[in-house]
Parts: sequence; C-alpha cells; structure tokens
Amino acid sequence: MAKGDVVEQNVQGGARVSAPSGVDLGGLILDSAPQKPGETVLRWSSRAHSIEEIDRELSRMWAIPKLVARVDGEESRHIAARTSVMNLVVVARRPEIGERCSATIQELTGRHPSRTLVVSTGDPDGPAWINAHVQAHCILPREDAPETCAEMIYLTAGGDAGRHLGAIVEPLLIHDLPVTMWWPGEPPFRLPLTAALLRITDRLVVDGASWGGDGLARLREMAEAMDRLRLTVFDFALVRQSRWREAIASIFDTPECVPYIRAVRRISVTYATHDPTGAPGSTNVVKPVYHAAWLASRLGLSIVKPLTPLSTPVSGRHRASSRPGPEPMHRGLTATLREGRSDVAVYIRPVMSGMPAGTTLRVELLAERRGSELRADVTAEAGTVRVRVWEDGVELLERVFRAARRTDVDLLAEAIEAGGPDPVAIDAIRVASELIAS
Amino acid sequence: MTVTKEPTRKGPPAPEAPVGAPARPGKEQPRTMRDLRLAHEGKRRAVTRPVENPLREGLRLERMPEPFAFVLFGGTGDLAHRKVIPALYQLWRTNLLPHEYALVAVGRRPYTDDTFRSDIRASLDKYSRTLPVDEEAWAGFAERLTYHQGDFSDPASFDRLVQRLQRVEREQGTRGNALFYLATHATDFPEIISQLGRVGLDHEVHGGGWRRVIIEKPFGRDLESAIRLNREVLKVFREKQVYRIDHYLGKETVRNLLVFRFGNGIWEPLWNRRYVDHVQITVAESIGVESRGAFYEETGASRDFLQNHLMQLLALVAMEPPASFDADALRDEKVKVIRAIAPPTRHDVTRDIVRGQYGGGWVEAHEVPGYREEPEVDPQSETETFIATRFQIDDWRWAGVPFYLRTGKRLPKRASEIAIQFNEVPHRLFREATGDPQPNLLAMRIQPDEGILLRFGAKVPGLGIDVRSVNMDFTYGSSFSVDSPDAYETLILDALLGDASLFTRADEVEEAWGIVTPIIESWADMPPPDFPSYEAGSWGPEAADHLLARDGRRWRRI
Repeated sequence: MAKGDVVEQNVQGGARVSAPSGVDLGGLILDSAPQKPGETVLRWSSRAHSIEEIDRELSRMWAIPKLVARVDGEESRHIAARTSVMNLVVVARRPEIGERCSATIQELTGRHPSRTLVVSTGDPDGPAWINAHVQAHCILPREDAPETCAEMIYLTAGGDAGRHLGAIVEPLLIHDLPVTMWWPGEPPFRLPLTAALLRITDRLVVDGASWGGDGLARLREMAEAMDRLRLTVFDFALVRQSRWREAIASIFDTPECVPYIRAVRRISVTYATHDPTGAPGSTNVVKPVYHAAWLASRLGLSIVKPLTPLSTPVSGRHRASSRPGPEPMHRGLTATLREGRSDVAVYIRPVMSGMPAGTTLRVELLAERRGSELRADVTAEAGTVRVRVWEDGVELLERVFRAARRTDVDLLAEAIEAGGPDPVAIDAIRVASELIAS
Repeated sequence: MTVTKEPTRKGPPAPEAPVGAPARPGKEQPRTMRDLRLAHEGKRRAVTRPVENPLREGLRLERMPEPFAFVLFGGTGDLAHRKVIPALYQLWRTNLLPHEYALVAVGRRPYTDDTFRSDIRASLDKYSRTLPVDEEAWAGFAERLTYHQGDFSDPASFDRLVQRLQRVEREQGTRGNALFYLATHATDFPEIISQLGRVGLDHEVHGGGWRRVIIEKPFGRDLESAIRLNREVLKVFREKQVYRIDHYLGKETVRNLLVFRFGNGIWEPLWNRRYVDHVQITVAESIGVESRGAFYEETGASRDFLQNHLMQLLALVAMEPPASFDADALRDEKVKVIRAIAPPTRHDVTRDIVRGQYGGGWVEAHEVPGYREEPEVDPQSETETFIATRFQIDDWRWAGVPFYLRTGKRLPKRASEIAIQFNEVPHRLFREATGDPQPNLLAMRIQPDEGILLRFGAKVPGLGIDVRSVNMDFTYGSSFSVDSPDAYETLILDALLGDASLFTRADEVEEAWGIVTPIIESWADMPPPDFPSYEAGSWGPEAADHLLARDGRRWRRI
C-alpha cells in the first residue's frame, strides 16, 4: 500500500478507523460514537515535512471520494462541506504559545476559518527544516446537517527556514480568502520577518494588554505599521472595552446629558497596578490609554500636550516629611487635549488593586457648560458595568448594564468574523499613538 | 433595518474642529454659498445642526431607542407569549433597550401585575431564544412589566389606559413615547385604533414624544377590507406612524436577499429576462392547521401566505435597485413590481392558479388526518391549503419570465426557497456528453438550512467529455455561527428606531390584495373544487406539476 493511503474499516467505540500502512503519516479518523451538534471531532490527522507534502496531505484530505462513517454496520454521514471563509495564521514564536492558542481555537467550535496555520519556530541553528501536523476538525452544525470541516496545520520551522516564515506561510494560504494573523505575545514590528508576514495579512490580531513594560512603545510601533502597511488591527485590549464604550455612550443618549457632549473638560481613567510605587513604565497602560484615545477620537479633540508623567508624587498629609515609610503612589500620566477653545485634561492614574495589572477600574468624565457641570462615573465588574451621573451635584442617573467581560475565545471569534476595517478602532489607535508621542 | 441617523434635537453650537481632527458627526455646516462666505469672514455663525451622539459610532447600535412605553394589546394571547414578549426580553437582556422603558400588556383576562408576570415567566422558560432565563435580566424586565385589564370595545378601559400611561411616564421616564402593538385578532384592529384616536394616544406632541403602532397581519381579508382597514388606521395615525409587520421580512435570510442582490456586483447584469428563464418561490410547511382550524377556514393559503409572505419575497427578488436604503425608497420599488403584475382574470385563474387541499397521509413518519378531519374545520370545507401560481411581471426587466409561486400545508417538509433558473446555454457544445447538464441555477434557501446554492456544469474526470451538474453551496451555519436574532427582535427594534424599511406600507398591502382578491373571487364563481386533491406528505396536487410541465419546466426538488 502506498505511503499515506487511507483504509476504511469499522471499529466500535470511537477508535481510530483508518491507518496508513506502516508510516507515521496518519490519515482519516472516523469516530463511530454518535456526534452531537456543536461538538468538534478530529477527522483527519497526518504529518508532513515540506510545503509540497503539506499540499499533498491537504489535497488527499478532500479527495477521498466517499468519506463515510459506518456506525453499527450502516453508513451514516459524510463530510460534505469545507468552510471557505478565511485563513487564520497564528504566529507563536514558542511552541507552548502555539499550544495555548490551539486550545483557544479549539473552543471556537463552528467558527473555524477555512484554514488555520499555527506557525512556531524551532532551533535556529543548522539546516532549514519544517515539521507539520495536518488536521481536519469537523463539526455537526445541526442534527440533520452535513458536517462542516476546517483545516489546521501546526507547523514548526527550524534553521534558516525559521527566519523566513513569510515564505512558508504564503504558499499555504487558500488564495483569494482574507488572511487574519493572530500574533500573541509581542510582535517585533520593526523586524524584517514581521514585515514579511504582515505584508500578506489583511487583519492583525494582537493583545496590547499583554505587552511588556507599559506597552506604549509597542503600541506606537503598531500604529506606524498599521498606517505603513494599511493593516486592519484588531487589538483585544481595545475590543475588550466595548462594554465600557456602550456604557459611556449611553450617558449621552439621555436628553439632559446631550448638551454636555461637546463640553467635556476632564477625562480621568484609573487602572489597577501591582507595583506599590505606581511608577510609569511599571504596568501596562495600553487599556487606559485606549479609553482616553477613543473618547478623544470620537469627540474630535486635538492633542495639545501628549502624555507625560505627572511631576510630583502625592505628598503632604499622607507622609510626614522626615519619617521613613513606603514611597507614595505615583500620580500617573497626564495630557492636554483641546475642544474648540477649551482645554480638556486627561489623567491616567494607577491604584493598587487585586485586579489584573493594567485593568481599567474607573472612567470619570467632567463636562462644564454655562455654569453647570456634569460628572459621570463609570465602573465595571466581572458581569456588569455601572454608570452614575450627577448634574450640579444632583444624581441624574444610575444604571447597571449586564455585560460580561469577554474571554479570549469571544474576542478571537469576533476577530475572525468581523468584516472590513473598523474606522473607530483605527482612529483610536492613531490617537493613542499621538497621545504617547515620545 | 439599517440604523439611520435621524436628527432628534438641537444642541449647543459646536466649536471649530481642530486641524487634523477626525470629521465630527453632526458638526455645524454652512448650508448656502452666502452662509459659507459669511462664515469664512467670521460674520455669521454656521447653521446649527442637531447633535448626534458621536460616542455611539461603531457600537452595536448607532442610536439607542429613545425611552418608550410598549403597549401590547392581546398581551395574554399566543403571539404575545411566544414571540413578542420573548423578543422584548431578548432585546432587554442584551442591553438594546433603554432603561426608561415600560411594557404595558392589555388584555381582557383578569390578571394582576404579579399573576401576569408569573405567566410571562413561564412562557419565557419555554419560548425564550436563550435558555435558561437570565435571572438578573428577568428581574429588571419584570419590574417594567405591568398588566392593564380592559375590553377593547370598552371606552372606559382606554380612558384608564391613558391615566396608566401618564403614570408610567412619570414613574419610568418614558417621555411620552409609545409603541402600540396590536397582537389581537384582526377584527379588533379598527376598534382599538379608533379608541386610541378617541383618547388622543395617537397625538405626537412637538417635543413630547412619538406614537407608533405595529399591526400584525392579516391586513384585511380582501382588497375592499384592506382599503377599509387602511382608511380606519389612517383616520387616526399618519402612515409614518404605522408599522405593518410581516415577520418574514425580519428573517435573516430575507434581509440577506437585499445584501446578496445589491451588495454584489456580479448578479445585477444577469438579473433580467435576458439571462433568467424563470423564478420559483416555495414556502412549504409540513405542519397542518394545528389548533387554528377555525382561523384557517376563513383564511386559506391565499390569504395566509400568498398575499403577504410570497408577494413580499417576489417583490424583493424582482424589484429594481432602490436609490437608497431609505424605507420609502425601498417600498416604492416593491410597490412598482407588484403593480406590474396584472390582476388575474377568471381565465388566468383557471389557467395559471392551482389550489389544493390535503387529505390524510404520512408526514415525517407520522400519520396525519386530512384537512377536513381537523378540529374546527367544516367536513365539506372548500378552503385551500395549497396554492401554486404563475405570475408574469410586465416590466422591462422581467417581461416573458414566469414567476412560479407555491405554498402549502402538510407538504413533505418545512422549506422555503427562492430559485432563479437561468437560461440554457445557447449552443450545446458537449452534445456527446452522457450526462444532461442542467441550466445554471441560483437557489436562496430561507429555511431551514439558510444559505445560497449555485449550480453549474463541470467535467467528470476521465477520458472523454462527460458533463455533470455540481453545486457550490454556501450555508450560513458553516460560515457564520453567530446567533441570528429572531425576526421579531429585528422588527421591534427597527420600529423603536423609526425605521420602516422592513414593514409593509398601505399601498403595498392594497396592491398585493389587488392580485389575490380576483383569485379568491374567481374561485367563488367556480363549481366546488374536487377536494381533497393531494395526499398529506406530497408536494401538492398534480395540477401544480402540470402548471410547469405545460411550459416545459418542473418544480425544483427541495
């Protein structure tokens, strides 16, 4: 029997049905256990060591004329549909990141793109090599519907090949379908390797909140790359804030608050830190910066003075001048924006908290108009966002929105399913980058 | 359907935009050249435009519905419990309704607020699209849910309703906005509408809130009654306040039909008599009349499905591209198509319309009784449970292209589909091919397996040339697994936002009746039909097959 041929046989109990003869290439896997709608089943698994072999495996996977499972001696369903929506490329610089991403992708039952490439790099020394694991994951959308399958390719490149991932990924993409690149960790935006990969990408998915330090330098690099390569960026850190944005926007749905929308004078964002000094650079502040940037971009505020550390730490009452004690918490960052002829102050402040570092804890707005002031206070918990608004000290409204914090699975699903560029996100990232300005 | 930005109120004058800042929605703009010049010279302030909420851009809703009271007539009925209230709950649960909202259910039965709430809770536990019911969301929803007992023919109950709504407005801050939903028997519509007018609940006070009314089908039972109903409704409400709901238009795939036609460049050049041989529209149901025998006796397939669902689907398939997605632009085009169908004469009815009634048979592995054996059905009933028609649209685009429509109960399965059958190739190049290549076909499945299929010929691998038809099949399930909203959620939200695109206008209703009424009247003049004429579980009477066979065509096997 030829290398990689598929043998169909009926095995009870969900065991592997097919096996290539004496090779490690694997192949068709049929599960005799009845499949439930919504559950993902591995239908194909084989290995390859070159682009050509991967291509061959992919063709073989779909060329089986009648992919029929036999359950209790009777032919049951066959794999009828391959999704044709998009390519997803996951750049996992280390295999363990790749595994973590795979687990997230596996949870996206039924939302799989047509082809997923999980690319990681191996030992950079020695000759070029590729090791790929080709799989087909299938799902039964409904009891009476045919299975729908998506391809997964786990690919590790070593030696010189690891330095030219663009040349490996490009030939493996399904042509004419959009390419979404999920880059967990820290994408080195200025490296040629990254540029080569981003050039074949339509949408880059990152999580700015996971970047090291304060994350701001990388945010600026990403904004540059976004403009240079006309990339659509989907940053989990920004998208996670949609429940905040809905809550903040709802304030100005209220007729009494509408007149204040063009009169915002102060934006304060408080974030969690684990660093007792709260010194700038110690905690990732991408999320709080995005809050300010989103408000600035939507309200059309111009930047007068970009973010700088507030000059002096809190002193005075809390600290006797000569007595030793813990360092006071740093006051954070400030910037000045402009609305027409009025300045808008921005404060981004750290607070010691048990919440993950960098998490936004509170967004406060102050608006002043014709001698009246409007104060809004927005806070969030795991499943809710609370909005309180006062006009001249009198409570105008208090609302609680039920909106759960979204997981990486939800966010990746949205990234995969989103359509074209999101102008609101593009504006927010651009303004964030201008706010950071070195 | 689309969230249009409707100016709502004036705001403060906006200052000049900073250089390089993104364009500001709702920013003041000079309107005339003189304004522009004077504004440049600093002599005149630019004209103020109403302020939008720029923070809403890019969020799920570009506009949140304004505070409102939802007044549900027929609050204890089946439609309210199965569809309307679950849709409102879903909108509430997903934060798509404002906090200043109240639901006042109106019905004859003696409920208290509490007993009504527990009844609704039981219905949500059964019919909510997402189960289990979210307790916190339910708490907020139930808090805003009240019951108003009253007979629709009793003027005093409407006087009390006014007081109740005033109280709701004070307590819930609904700002005078009210959406009246008529989920009652159609015979109650005129009375309710007239009473609403009598007590002034139709009045839209300047700056004091809007008033809208949603009317469920059937909109009349023939042309005359539809005109009468429209007249009654329009005596009280203006057309812009009236939302005639046909839930079919809120279905995801039906809405996708518009995107498919007008969001893709490749179809429009082919979408005409030059390339299309004929069109088939099927809305098949496997169920019988269930517990609605009495209702169906008076309705039949022509009134229940043909006049509304089928005619709407036909209009969406055949209409010209509207200039905008504005509600009236869209509905103008739909009306034009329906007007282009000549009302059938008696001769046309005999030749181009087939009616049928099911007898006993087997459907989905169950033995089912014939229509005449159903509860509340006359054993000599002449009501049609199946109708197939051949319509001709007399316009430039479709002249000579027949549109075959069919709908029926107790057909082999529940399936709705629009199929565009393209012409055969003009010259058979592969005559020696053993297979018989079928002409290209584009099928849009509405339910149950929402998707789009394109059939084309392909060479069978091997020596020689053998051509076989293959399908390129797009299914929603395999490309998008996002949970689609129920049609009622879509439509209620649209009505709250003042978007009438997916609702039927008075003239549309009347034009559709203008086609269906002559059919019904011709049948009334004919001898009694030979019913039952098809076995339950079959695709209708043989005459329906002959309707197409006569033209050298056949119904698509669905």
